[in-house]
Amino acid sequence: MNTAKLIRRLAPALLCSLFVAAPITLPAAAQSYPAKPIKLVLPYAPGGATDVIGRTLAQYLGETIGQPVVAENRTGSGGIPGTDYVVRSAPDGYTLVMMDPALIINPTLLPSVPFDVFKDLQVVSRVNSSPLVLVVTPGMPAKTYAEFLTYAKANPGKLNFSSAGIGTTPHLAGEMFKQQTGVDAVHVPYRGIGQSYTDMMAGKISFAFSSAAGALPFTKDERVRPLAVTSLKRAAIYPNTPTMDEAGLKGFDVDLWYVLLAPAAVPAPIVAKINEAMVKALALPEVKTAFAKIGAEPVSSTPAEGAAFIKSEYEKWKKVLTDGNIKEQ
Amino acid sequence: MDFLANLQIGFGVALTVQNLLYCFAGVLLGTVVGVLPGIGPVTTVAMLLPISFTLDPISEMIMLAGIYYGAQYGGSTTAILVNIPGEASSVVTTIDGHQMARQGRAGPALGIAAIGSFFAGSVATLTICIAAPPLAAIALNFGPAEYFSLMVCGLIAAVVLARGSVLKAIGIVVLGLLLGIAGTDVNSGVRRFTFGLTGLADGIEFVALSMAIYGIAECAINLEKKDEQAEVTRAIGRVWPTWADIRHCTPAILRGTVLGSLLGVLPGGGALLAAFGAYTLEKKVARPPRTFGNGDIRGVAAPESANNAGAQTSFIPMLTLGIPSNPTMAMMIGALMIHGISPGPRVMTERPELFWGLIASMWIGNLMLVILNLPLVGMWVKLLRIPYRLLFPAIVGFCCIGAYATNSNATDLFVMAFFSVFGYLCLKLECEPAPLILGFVLGPLMEENLRRSLLMSRGDPMVLIQEPISLTFLIAAVLLLLVVAAPAIQKKRDEALQE
Repeated sequence: MNTAKLIRRLAPALLCSLFVAAPITLPAAAQSYPAKPIKLVLPYAPGGATDVIGRTLAQYLGETIGQPVVAENRTGSGGIPGTDYVVRSAPDGYTLVMMDPALIINPTLLPSVPFDVFKDLQVVSRVNSSPLVLVVTPGMPAKTYAEFLTYAKANPGKLNFSSAGIGTTPHLAGEMFKQQTGVDAVHVPYRGIGQSYTDMMAGKISFAFSSAAGALPFTKDERVRPLAVTSLKRAAIYPNTPTMDEAGLKGFDVDLWYVLLAPAAVPAPIVAKINEAMVKALALPEVKTAFAKIGAEPVSSTPAEGAAFIKSEYEKWKKVLTDGNIKEQ
Repeated sequence: MDFLANLQIGFGVALTVQNLLYCFAGVLLGTVVGVLPGIGPVTTVAMLLPISFTLDPISEMIMLAGIYYGAQYGGSTTAILVNIPGEASSVVTTIDGHQMARQGRAGPALGIAAIGSFFAGSVATLTICIAAPPLAAIALNFGPAEYFSLMVCGLIAAVVLARGSVLKAIGIVVLGLLLGIAGTDVNSGVRRFTFGLTGLADGIEFVALSMAIYGIAECAINLEKKDEQAEVTRAIGRVWPTWADIRHCTPAILRGTVLGSLLGVLPGGGALLAAFGAYTLEKKVARPPRTFGNGDIRGVAAPESANNAGAQTSFIPMLTLGIPSNPTMAMMIGALMIHGISPGPRVMTERPELFWGLIASMWIGNLMLVILNLPLVGMWVKLLRIPYRLLFPAIVGFCCIGAYATNSNATDLFVMAFFSVFGYLCLKLECEPAPLILGFVLGPLMEENLRRSLLMSRGDPMVLIQEPISLTFLIAAVLLLLVVAAPAIQKKRDEALQE
């Protein structure tokens, strides 16, 4: 009888202690994080810009977080298989993915994506910002953006622009340019923007919104002509090239960004820890130098800023895709 | 003189102890992955990229290049001894090489493959030195129309290449084209022939398909031929070819080297197209031609010289234009970019030690490969003593690892399983699978380039004959077709006569 009474009297205290214990044990799990190497999934084939950014990040994030970060390529169309792999992995903060704008373009472009970007994933931090470069064939008379626009408008339907494929950032930048200026040009997709340079040098492709990494070797020795960069402020690697915004197309802003994501269920304290290490790693001069080689600048953010950023990017591209009726079936 | 000064820089770089070691590591690894079906240079280079980031860029390039051309030596060994191409580029070597092995002349076949490869490698190295800038200029003139016409030419060559019925060969080529265009269409984004499977959205994986047909299906067919297998096991023959063999092969090696060097430069070309092209040419040009397909040593010498020449000259567009001609070259470009070097014409002037060091290392690497391959051939010959029932599981194992390791994608294994059955049926029906593979590789490229050229001409097909280079290729294709047609009539007559 006494025992029963005792239990009844202790029950609230026991219950209380459970609730009190919970917030204590959770940070304890987070405190031991990271206790083992972290896997960073890169959803594209080795060798591209994703690799340069991803592997640099893996190395320096490993240093700032205190455990090795191992980059792993998991390739597949639109980066979906690689991202899906992370969505399905244990939400313990040991499996992360670095994705580019395809992350938020796919949901509008494709009939179905196996996961919901905004529900199944959370942004840990932004990684970088890299502008695209408007490049034109050397045979084109236009030397400035304004001249190019006049030329393009005077030759409706005659110009071709290349891209790295349907729904890629270079393609959508071109579509957005067409929508905002009323220029009529034909989209010619390639498997990678690099492949189109031969045709651009030969004059078969008139212009392209190319990744800075892809454009750099060709603009260096003037085999193609850079007219403008698509960021709102000038790019460090193209200090003498105006922005589209400066040159006359107000508010034109296209960024070939990457973000670091974790499964949505990873506890906030762990995400905060990775974010802290990310901010430190992205501030390192070595990272700045490595990114600069392919025309990217490190950009860190809080998880909330990152989430807001990809949401706004989602809205921006959704409009371009819908207005241009661009779809994959 | 510029040329000598350049070579001096090159050898100065390539002959340092460190770079010699990396060169050796590269060619040794290349030979091993070349011998093993299912693991190719692309997979190997991809797997090594993370490790090589820590190396000096010159050493890294020397090692990665060694893997690529080293695999061309290793690939022939498996092709000749086991009738499975260790590399896709040694597919045609199986035709006559394995016949030679069955006739107890495996030794000379291996010997001539190594000698031909070394000769071709040396010539290709010199070719890069002398002709890199002008040759790159030629390739630079190719637009989509030219590529399309070139590939039409290539496909018709595939029909010429096939043994047996021309009708079957055409059927198989078309099937290859259809398989090749499965997956997401580059021009419209429409997914074709995927049956709603997301695993097929990127198309059918080349590694899985080729391993299925050349690895597993061939093994299954070979398991049925127990008695013939035993014969090969007993008769090996000496490794060094006779002087008569060498004299007999000299024109084939020369032709293979020249053609291989040319085809290697073309983007989309490289070792594979070179080997196919050289074998086809040899079949048409060499006299007497009757013995091809039945163990003609020239059928080994020509494609083996060509694939090594092609493997090496495919560095030309990569080094001079920064444009990859095949997946391995794409990896090399990636590797250079990691080190902050943008591949292009400026590499030659800004980093002469890299450009010329790499080229000098190729010659040294080829020398190493001959030494590595000829004495070690004895070791590979021992593979023949392993009965197929033991080799079979090993090959299946390697194929599975190779197919999976390419993309870490389980769908590729199912694709491989499906095409293993398909390949077995094909072989049972006496359909040569080589045109299937070529159709598979060229199909999507051809379609892409045709549609691209039509997009650019706003739908006017005349663009294909208005461009002179394109027109030349198309005329060559028509001539080839006539050549096919003639012997086809002849063959039928022969068959009729025999019956």
